[in-house]
Amino acid sequence: MGIGDWRSLYRQVGSQEEDEVLGGPVILPGGIALPVQIERVLGFGRSFSFWPLLFGLACCAIEMMALGGPRFDMARFGMEAMRASPRQADGMIVAGWCTTKMAPRVIRLYEQIPDPKWVLAMGSCAISGNIWDTYNVVQGIDSLIPVDVYVPGCPPRPEALWQGLEMIRERIKKSRHAYDGLRRIPAREILAQEMCEQEMREQLTRQIRGERKGNA
Amino acid sequence: MSEQQVQDRLQEQSTLERRPTSEELKERKARTRRRVPRTGEILTLSMGPQHPSTHGVYRAELDLDGELVVAVRPEIGNLHRGVEKLCEHRTYHQIIPLTDRLDYISSFAMNHAFCEAAEKLMGVEVPPRGRYIRTIAHELSRIANHIMWLGVHVMDLGTQTFFCICFRDREYVLDLFEMLCGARLTHSYSRIGGVAKDLPDGFDYHCRKVIDFIPKRVAEYERIIKHNRIYYKRTKNVGIFTAEDCYAWRVTGPTLRAAGVPRDLRKDEPYAAYDEVEFEVAVEYNADVYDRFLVRMKEIRESCKIIRQCLDNLPDGPFLAPDAGHALPLKKNVLRDPAAMIQDFYQVFHGPQVPKGEVYRAIEVPKGEMGVYIRSEGGPKPARVRFSTPSFYHGQAVPALVEGEMLADVVAIFASVDIVLGDCDR
Amino acid sequence: MPSFSPDEQAAGGGLARDQAHWLASVRKELIWMDNSELPVSLMRAAVRLRRRFGGRLLEGRVFRGELSYVVAPADWLRVLAFCRDARELAFDQLDCLLGDHVPERTEAPFQVVVHLTSHTYGHRLRVKTFLAEGQPLPSVTGLWPSAGFDEREAWEMYGIVFEGHPDLRRLLLPDDFEGFPMRKDFPLQGIIGGRVRTRLTGKI
Repeated sequence: MGIGDWRSLYRQVGSQEEDEVLGGPVILPGGIALPVQIERVLGFGRSFSFWPLLFGLACCAIEMMALGGPRFDMARFGMEAMRASPRQADGMIVAGWCTTKMAPRVIRLYEQIPDPKWVLAMGSCAISGNIWDTYNVVQGIDSLIPVDVYVPGCPPRPEALWQGLEMIRERIKKSRHAYDGLRRIPAREILAQEMCEQEMREQLTRQIRGERKGNA
Repeated sequence: MSEQQVQDRLQEQSTLERRPTSEELKERKARTRRRVPRTGEILTLSMGPQHPSTHGVYRAELDLDGELVVAVRPEIGNLHRGVEKLCEHRTYHQIIPLTDRLDYISSFAMNHAFCEAAEKLMGVEVPPRGRYIRTIAHELSRIANHIMWLGVHVMDLGTQTFFCICFRDREYVLDLFEMLCGARLTHSYSRIGGVAKDLPDGFDYHCRKVIDFIPKRVAEYERIIKHNRIYYKRTKNVGIFTAEDCYAWRVTGPTLRAAGVPRDLRKDEPYAAYDEVEFEVAVEYNADVYDRFLVRMKEIRESCKIIRQCLDNLPDGPFLAPDAGHALPLKKNVLRDPAAMIQDFYQVFHGPQVPKGEVYRAIEVPKGEMGVYIRSEGGPKPARVRFSTPSFYHGQAVPALVEGEMLADVVAIFASVDIVLGDCDR
Repeated sequence: MPSFSPDEQAAGGGLARDQAHWLASVRKELIWMDNSELPVSLMRAAVRLRRRFGGRLLEGRVFRGELSYVVAPADWLRVLAFCRDARELAFDQLDCLLGDHVPERTEAPFQVVVHLTSHTYGHRLRVKTFLAEGQPLPSVTGLWPSAGFDEREAWEMYGIVFEGHPDLRRLLLPDDFEGFPMRKDFPLQGIIGGRVRTRLTGKI
């Protein structure tokens, strides 16, 4: 499937040596990269006020709201300002299953969030579709948008979501994103490749069938 | 005017307006339409599917004439999973976790609804202890649902602090659920024939502490909100939906009871232990958003009363029907007793023995009336399951509720009918 | 909308002799699938329906204390209007309208099932009809507006056309969805395989 195999996806988004080329520090227009020290300071500052987009879809959203409640309190870490507008957000916490009807809107919201941005897939539904292996549910939002951290659970406890957010904060400190500096989204490329392959396969099938008919 | 005088006047007003007639309600609704400033041009505003009113991904296109909402075109389906189709490929026991995720704020109520319908179909009788435990859990989920509704509703109207206060109180109820079944939100606690586990040690003590604490909190909420001038002005005579409208649009639950109709399926078609406990049906007569708030607060207090009575009169005995053809065996017997092992094997790998036929069973879940229709062709999997959930019909009634009201009131009205999109789209 | 005073309700009680005869004949005609009983008001409603429609009620069944009738599609609207407007029936709430697919019944594989409730008497009724592929059914949104969404869903899930529906279009599925998913021959995972089930184009 795709370019090579699926492991190439996370090879792009995690490893140290790829960091300089893909998913690393911000490259300004003209090809000038910010020095790592400045990027680290900026990342350290950003990590203390990560404002996610208010994007709860389903049950996991309730646990996300419980995280904002007083017992689990994400305000002590600067995250309670969940922005309603994607233009003001730093990232998305996709909480709940994404249907095929909602999928274009998820992508559009993701694209509207300005750089740098991070995505957390909360709950089994956002990771892989969970038990909803049906005609209308996207089996994992990483088919649509690049995901930085996956938090499994159904729903994950607020403490588990907090652990996921801590991992996001670690990535923010190192300015590591799931998309590359050239704004190519690897998951979408794999998908485009797959769809091309499928069309090629269909064309080939049609050709073979045509030949068989010709023979018979 | 002093605060006391304001409160007295509010009290006086609410007593005077105790039972308005249908014509009066219609007149009040028409008054809004006349008062609202208009421009004569229609502006189409798309509300959702991503908007801060955290009810989920509901999309509505509002046609506005100035401040007046002239038409609403709702669009749902952004959370449609095909639960009903999935149920045709699962046995009755496997459907219970799917029902959890319908109305995820009061999951146990959904489990309970499906189990009642399945038990009606199979002819299973739930033992008394199981019925009482189900009642306790159902009422706890009602308390959790209404507290969360209040927090979210008031947050839609502008406060943030109150949302935090409500979530703090809701955490105590979720702690009880965690003690009961291990999960805070998606319980899957009900089983066909009873419940999954017995009440743990210490549950009685902790539950009593919580239900002694909750009515005091409700008194606090009422002190903060009920006599709050802003809340009163924003919700009094807003979103009037008379009893006839409710019947026509199949709007049930607190909205129907706020319109003066004392219909509560816990009293009218009792199930679980509701015919053995005493409680009052919360009814108000003004059919507006304010009354829906009052009805829900009263329902929380009545739920605490019900739970207390259930805990006081909790019968001994099995909590799960010892019905080999339909119910799962007790876990502790499965590895010891060969009959239980066979029953477990059969129920898990094949499924229950179900007669051919169809049933429809409606129960009063926190949001309204939820009906479950099951058609069976005799196999372990149902041939058709339909969840007729309250949010589906409330989402349909939003145009009737909101047309003729001001744009600024749309959010308040939408919140008052308590829609959850997992319930609506299934 | 009918609302009956307690006097009117009491006047409806007390069976006259010919009503007792009708009651007995209705009891004989119904198919009692188990030994459950129906409430008195529902038996009276059944008698009223039988007197009005006679042989047009194709089948009456009692199972688990519920009464369900099968009618032909041509009588659908008439029977349901009578259910809403008649005094002894007074079914003022439509609880649920759903579609169903029974492929074993080849001449009429689709069915539409309606559940009615009466606030006055508290009784419930189920009315069903069987449809062939492509056979339309009149819409009941004129009687109960709550059927609007139900009929839209039945249309998009099964392909059952409701004539006279003000707005018969897709409700839950995306606009470019092909097929009728709740039919028994539609696969659960959907037609387009892979991780993403459809092309992500279209308006937001």
